[in-house]
Amino acid sequence: MALMLAGIFTRFLLIALLMLPVSLVAAKDMVSVNEAPLRIAVASNFAPTLKQLLARYNPNQKQFLAPILIAASSGTLFLQIEHGATFDVFLSADSERPQLLSTSDLAVKDSLQTYAFGQLALWSAKGHIDSDLLVALNNNKQRLAIANPRIAPYGKAAKQVLESLQRWDDYKNRLIQGINIGQTFQQTRSQAVNLGIVSNSQLVLNNFKGVLISSHLHQPIKQQLVILKHSKKIAQAERFVTLLMSKQAQQFIVESGYASSSEISANE
Amino acid sequence: MSNSHPDMLALITTLKMAGLTTVILMLIGTPLAWYLAKMQSRAKVFIEALVALPLVLPPTVLGFYLLLLFSPQYLPGQIWQQATGQQLAFSFSAIVIGSVLYSLPFVVQPLQKAFEQLGDDLLEAAAMLGASAIDRFFTIVLPITKASFITAASLGFAHTVGEFGVVLMIGGNIPGETRVLSIALFDHVEAFDYAQAHIISISLVICSLILLSLIYLLNRPKKSQPVLSKRFS
Repeated sequence: MALMLAGIFTRFLLIALLMLPVSLVAAKDMVSVNEAPLRIAVASNFAPTLKQLLARYNPNQKQFLAPILIAASSGTLFLQIEHGATFDVFLSADSERPQLLSTSDLAVKDSLQTYAFGQLALWSAKGHIDSDLLVALNNNKQRLAIANPRIAPYGKAAKQVLESLQRWDDYKNRLIQGINIGQTFQQTRSQAVNLGIVSNSQLVLNNFKGVLISSHLHQPIKQQLVILKHSKKIAQAERFVTLLMSKQAQQFIVESGYASSSEISANE
Repeated sequence: MSNSHPDMLALITTLKMAGLTTVILMLIGTPLAWYLAKMQSRAKVFIEALVALPLVLPPTVLGFYLLLLFSPQYLPGQIWQQATGQQLAFSFSAIVIGSVLYSLPFVVQPLQKAFEQLGDDLLEAAAMLGASAIDRFFTIVLPITKASFITAASLGFAHTVGEFGVVLMIGGNIPGETRVLSIALFDHVEAFDYAQAHIISISLVICSLILLSLIYLLNRPKKSQPVLSKRFS
């Protein structure tokens, strides 16, 4: 009898133990769906600006919790999202990938927006270059670093700039191609290459000055975002996007070295 | 695929890079491994750690520091430029030097283990019979440790073919010079050209599998001497 009681007791205990994780998960879900911070997948080139922007405009986490930023190349983040990575918002360095996510129904409908326009600059870490873009390009007899035009939006735009100025044929056999604009900046900064077409935001961030490249020489580098459909924090994600698209945040982004949308629309 | 196909060019560049790297690695790695195997001093552990370092450092980190060193800003890059008249960073020589450093432990470690297991008595006997150091190396050391040499060379070669991070940093993706297969493959994936990426991946996997299998086949320990066993049975 005692044995049987003990048996029942053990069984009860076992069931209780088995149920424990279930109840914990349920309790956690109830609190955390709204409370957990956003996971934002952000293209590496925008990550520093985003960090500063969040510190400035959401310091007390009143609108949303301090998000977790996952910074990598847009291509890598896109692949991860396609294969089930649990991000809430995707800030890409291009427009192609967010649009693909929209059409393949992985993004929240109508969440696609342009949050920044890339601004190119010609820059040398070695010293002075002519302030006239064409003269500076003509003076350079050595190699030129650009991001890979085939895979990086800033590289595609850099190629368009060289084509617009009819310098592509001159340069196409002496290009150093970085996998993304971050690598191009690094290669130019190391002085391993004399001259590079880099992103102005990298120069602003590091207090360097280059020759700004007018955005009418290339198609706009639209950096777009989407909210991801499987997110369980869509309301919080929308608050984040509202902040990012607000007038003050957009102004801050332009000050950080991106092109302003008014300049772009003037060219279009 | 014609000779001018960009991926074919990348394949040729890769084979040139891996081949040259392997030759240099065997030339540097053999004396280094011998020195480490026979060395008694305390400095040995430090050199061993130094050789093993590329196993620890992420390739892109190693590549980043090499990029700095190879740039005309720093002494190694300057010396190279003065000696050859050409810039080191973003050249074929740069990716070969990078690969030598990166694959060094894969060549030194198997050779060192083999030399350590080599008894001194044979070599001493040969020396007493008047064999020179070079004679001893080619008639005793090399035949006994042949398998380890094959392992070291094949690991060095295979590891260099598969290299990505270092070349990515110091190569600059120049067709025919620094664009190797792994970089071309990455480009295809990033450009959504999965079909071309699959072709390269599959050919790379199949070729490597065949090559490595062949090496291990050649390297298989021989069945313990049939002549002897027959005599004693």
